[in-house]
Parts: sequence; C-alpha cells; structure tokens
Amino acid sequence: MSSLTKELTLVDILAKIGKWFYILLFLFMTVVPIIWLTISSFKTNFEFETQPFSLPSVWQFQNYAKAIQMGGLPRLFLNSVIVAVSTTGLNILVSAMGAFAISREKFRFNEALLNVILAGVLIPIIALMVPYFKIVSTLGIYDSLPGLILTYAAINIPISVFLIHGFMGSIPIELEEAAVIDGCSFAQRFTKIVFPLTKPGLVTAGTFMFIYCWNEFTYAMLLTSSESSRTLQLGIRFFKSQFVTDYTSMLAAIVITMLPTIIVYIFLHDRIISGMTSGAVKG
Amino acid sequence: MRNKNWKQILLFLAPVLVLFVAYFVYPLGFVFVTSFTDWNGIGAMEFSGLDNYLGLFGDETFRTSLGNNITWALVLGFVQIPLAAGMAMILARKPKGWKMFRTVYFLPNVISQVALAMMWLAIYNAEHGILNSFLELAGMSGLTRNWLGNMTTAFPAVIIQQIFYIGYFMIVILASRMGISESYYEAAEIDGANIFQQERHITIPMLKGILITTMTLALAYGMRHFESTYLMTNGGPAHATSVMGILLYRNLGALNYGEANAIGSILIIFGGATIALIRWLFSRNDNTSDSVQ
Repeated sequence: MSSLTKELTLVDILAKIGKWFYILLFLFMTVVPIIWLTISSFKTNFEFETQPFSLPSVWQFQNYAKAIQMGGLPRLFLNSVIVAVSTTGLNILVSAMGAFAISREKFRFNEALLNVILAGVLIPIIALMVPYFKIVSTLGIYDSLPGLILTYAAINIPISVFLIHGFMGSIPIELEEAAVIDGCSFAQRFTKIVFPLTKPGLVTAGTFMFIYCWNEFTYAMLLTSSESSRTLQLGIRFFKSQFVTDYTSMLAAIVITMLPTIIVYIFLHDRIISGMTSGAVKG
Repeated sequence: MRNKNWKQILLFLAPVLVLFVAYFVYPLGFVFVTSFTDWNGIGAMEFSGLDNYLGLFGDETFRTSLGNNITWALVLGFVQIPLAAGMAMILARKPKGWKMFRTVYFLPNVISQVALAMMWLAIYNAEHGILNSFLELAGMSGLTRNWLGNMTTAFPAVIIQQIFYIGYFMIVILASRMGISESYYEAAEIDGANIFQQERHITIPMLKGILITTMTLALAYGMRHFESTYLMTNGGPAHATSVMGILLYRNLGALNYGEANAIGSILIIFGGATIALIRWLFSRNDNTSDSVQ
C-alpha cells in the first residue's frame, strides 16, 4: 500500500524471501511429484531408469494403450463410474429429502435430530469395518457394486445433510407459504420449489460425493473380492503384479485413474472451494 | 402440538433415518458390545469381559500402533495446521497468483490415496526411486537408502509425504482470514507494526476459533489415520509404521471379530477423547473460543 514512499526494511526483505520460499516449497512437494509422475508415464522403461528427471526423448503414447489393455482398465473404469454416479444420486436424493423435512418443518426433536446426524462426522468410519462387513454380507450384497453404493451413500449422509441443510436455510420460507396458499402439497414444495432452488448446493454436495466415491479404497477392499466388482482404486493396487516389467505403463494407468477427479476439479474448483468454506464459516 | 404434515415428514425422513441407524447407530452399539466377546463371526459369541482390551494393551505391536496414531495426531495437529495457517496468512495478502496457488495446493486432496501412495512408492523406491536419484545427482549418494524399508526412516517418510497436503485446512483458514477487516492491518501499519507483528497480534488472535477447530479435526484424523500407511508399508518394516486401523483390518481377516471391535472401540474412544481434551484445554481460561462448534 504505502510501499512507494516507504523504504524497504530488512524485515520486509526477509518476509518477501521467506514468502516465496514457502510458496515454492509447497509447490515442489505437492504438485511437482504429480507432474513428474505424468511425464514419466510417457517414457520408455529404460529412460525412466536412466534419466529420471529429463523429458521423454520420444513421447511414448503407447504406454497408455498398453495400460488400458493390460490392466483391464475399461471394466474397472466402468465399475467406478457406476458406483460414483449411483452413490451420488442416492445420497443426494436421500439427504435432500431429509434436510428438507428438518429445515422446513417444525416438529419435536428436529434440532436434536439434525445434531445427531451431524455428529456422525466425528465417528471414525474405519472403526466400523466389522459391522459394515456384516451388514453388507447379511443383505446379500457382499462383493457387488450395490454393496458399495449403499455403503458409500450411507457413510456420507452426515456431510451431505450438513451442506444441503445449510443451503436450504438460505431459501426464504415465504416462497413456500405462498405456494401452499395456491394449493401446493408437501411433496410439491420439495419437487417444485426447494429442490430446484437448492440446485447449486446439491451440485456442490454431489461433487464432494463423486470425488469421495471415485477415490474410496478401504471399503472397496473390504466389501468386494472378485474382479468383476472391483473399482479402479482397488484395481490399480494389483497393477504392481501385472506390470512387473513395464513400470512406465503402470504409471500411465495411475494417471488415467487420477484424471476424472482432476477434470471435475478443474471445472468446479470455485464451487468446491466455496462449498468447503460455507461449512467453515459455521464451524 | 403435532405438525399436520407429520405423515409426509416421516416419509421424507425415513430413508435418511434408516440409513443413518443402519450405518451409524447400530454399528456403534455393535462394536462396543461385541468388543467384550470372543467371537469369530460364525459361531456363538462368548462373553469374555475385558480380555480383548487387556490382550491389546499387553501386546507390544498394539502399543506401537497406538503410539504411532498419537504421533500422527500430534504431527497433523501441531505441525500441519501451523503450516496450513502460515500459507493462509501468506495467500491472504494476495501475492501474485494467489488464487492459482490456492487451487493448486488443494489439487492433491482430490486425488486418491491409492494413486498418491503409488506415486510416493515410486519416489521412495530403493532401486529406481527419484529421491535416491536426486541425492546421487546432488552428490550425496551416501544418504541414499531404502526409505520405506528402513526402521528409522520408514515412519518419518510416510508422515512427511502427508504433511504437505495442507489444501483443505489452508482453504478453511484462508476463508476466515479473508473475513478479517483490512482496517486492522492498515491501522497496525500506521502504528509501525511489521508484517510478522501484524500476523502475531491481529491474525492469530482473531483466527483462534478456526485454528482450534482445524487443529481438533487434524488431531482426530491423526488418531484414525490408516489408508496411506496401509497402502505404502502395510505397517512394516517390523511394525515400525503400524497404526491401529491396520491391526483392526488384520484381526477382521483372521476372524478375530471381538478383538477387531475392541480396536474399533479404542479408535472411537480415543478420537472422542482427543476432541474433548483439545476443546477443554483451549476453553479453560477463556471463553472467546466458545463460539467454536
């Protein structure tokens, strides 16, 4: 601000150097490895071993073709898409209905109910491996995509209800009161008014869900066993044995698994960031 | 007074309630109750009192794992949060490209732990890992080693790769920092306070609430840390990096359901105790942090 008139003091210089050092250090530790991985996935194995820091002399696009064939990627990819899309739909529908009833209607326990559901965020989900395994087995959906879909949708109810309830709170209730006078039923208030108006919030919550489902590993490992119900994240764990002699093709396969969420992030990062901070303001 | 829409309300709440009870309420009760039994999942449960717990605390591997989870919690809470807060303070002053940095630092948070773990395995690899290649290039070939296979370096190596993923906490702290009025800083500037003094005397006190909240979250995450360790070392070498989740998963695989659930109970109790403790610590002598949820 006043830097034009003020002399640079030693403290200012130190702060400036420190600032850029800090920024670059974090870039180096978070993004450079990902860029290195991506560049390496275009190299020959010999190049990868001998010149780990150079650019590929010839970009080996066939690594990607090999990755897709050898790793059985299309099937894994399809499974992941099915799980992520179905879970997101199920979780958002269920959470939006619940959040609607809690936020738009006064009934006994509605505050208490909300708090109990939100407290679910505090529970370490990995502590519940045995019961989840038992529930899914009992329902007869062990080792199937529905088992994963139901589990992922249920696990994320607290966070989705939190986000959606927050968004619904900002819609004026007068809109619905007017609609009721015009003969709008309870369900129509949800489908015709609140659901459409909450769309930005639903998209944010849905984006979180999609990213979560795409990346989830622990329960995919616990609740499936056969190749036919494997998701991508689980599948790439087996790449190490499939690609013993072809390391750079394995790196290509890893890059493919990272792409969908990175693409979602590139398009929706503003919404994702504002979604996180809308929670933070209350938190 | 009964709400006249109660039937529809119940209908709308039913799915969320069924799922919540099935996946949160019932499992919690189930884990606690069966932690006092000897049970293989198929046969009858036999009440065994505190045997599972006594067995666990008498087992050195479990004590190591619990200790490692505590280390994770302390490092995430007291190293990662200050690092994230530092970045938030820097970016809040809007240096060139700050929005881009904010977006980029969060990028690893949208990538799966599996992909990140495989990437770090490639970095730490003893034969063709780039960390060793880098050290050789820098003329420090004496330092090269099998980072994840070595008893002394494995645990720090697994922790360090996570510390720099500050994205989530940084964004949350940054949002709060942006909410502080610029006029405080302008006034401090006029009074001759330098940047460090401004951060120390304006930012930190004003962000106390969000710093405690993020610290609490980070400590809780550390107490339940499992995935990236499982993926990178599976607890090895010789349990040096082991955490409670790994033992829980192994007990589940070995059909020791009673013991697995005792570990689950300990995870839940320690996680809850961590959250309660930190809130108590920070709210004892002052009530400004009472606004923190």
